[in-house]
Amino acid sequence: MNTPFRLDDHPRRPQPLTPPPDGYFDRLPTQIMARVQPEARQESAAFGWLRVLSMPLRTALASVVVLGGFTATFLLSQPDAATTPRLAHANLAAVPRTEMVQYLLASDERLSTSDLSELPVADQDLVHDYLQASPAEVQAALDEQPSELNYL
Amino acid sequence: MEDQDILAKFADPASRNLAFNQLVRKYQQKVYWHVRKMVVDHDDADDLTQDTFVKVWNHLGNFRQDASLYTWIYRIATNECLNFLSSKRRKFLLPLNDVSEELAAKMEADPSLAGDEVELKLQKAILRLPDKQRLVFNLKYYEDMKYEDMAEVTGTSVGALKASYHHAVKKIEQYINEPS
Repeated sequence: MNTPFRLDDHPRRPQPLTPPPDGYFDRLPTQIMARVQPEARQESAAFGWLRVLSMPLRTALASVVVLGGFTATFLLSQPDAATTPRLAHANLAAVPRTEMVQYLLASDERLSTSDLSELPVADQDLVHDYLQASPAEVQAALDEQPSELNYL
Repeated sequence: MEDQDILAKFADPASRNLAFNQLVRKYQQKVYWHVRKMVVDHDDADDLTQDTFVKVWNHLGNFRQDASLYTWIYRIATNECLNFLSSKRRKFLLPLNDVSEELAAKMEADPSLAGDEVELKLQKAILRLPDKQRLVFNLKYYEDMKYEDMAEVTGTSVGALKASYHHAVKKIEQYINEPS
């Protein structure tokens, strides 16, 4: 008859299962560090340098960032003063001259002497392209008009 | 390196990585074998061991030293194991015995137990225990952990742990002595 099994009499095997692959415990710390390191690296790269600064400096830095943001938004929202006349000039140049004349004849629109007087101030290139008159000639033409028409 | 030194160095950002590396090297084998005995499969044990140390990294800054670092790490590893086993049952809608059978099949395939019928039967008897009782048995029988430390790991009273271990031994002996 077999002796009944008693756990205390059985030789204890501390690790009864097959050990892990060779070198497993040499590699494991590296694998674990690789899993926790990205968090640590991102944290230090993004905000780590902020921790070095004192609280007043951090507050001042935040104010500069906010004010800078407002300034940049304001400047970027302004229309480009140089672009607008250039664009108008290009659009006008694209209209064929015959169509332009037809438009002026068919509509009630008339060029007044005040339009003529403002043209050299608004755009010198336009004067050169379409008026083909020197500033002296323009001035002489204006001087010949009755003074009340000039200031209407 | 002593646990206190590891904790002090971990608290300093400049030496945190070094301290954690030391901690992993100090406890990796204990954690791995503790987990491996619970889940049997090496790959599962590998995943759970890594998960355990990632959690240790995440929470070590909040570790209160009213428990020892050693039992605190064991507690995290134990919870990882129990969660893994219970989620495995939920995932596949398996009853308790089916997971035990699966673990027993892996145990039978382990070359380390080939030819040792009594040892294989002992391991299969251990696998038939409920998870928490198996955990208590492993901590006492294989690691000879003090009941007071086991109480910290499991959150169970010393008296309940002694009773659990006593009943586990009886169940195992009874299973092995049953005629095949």
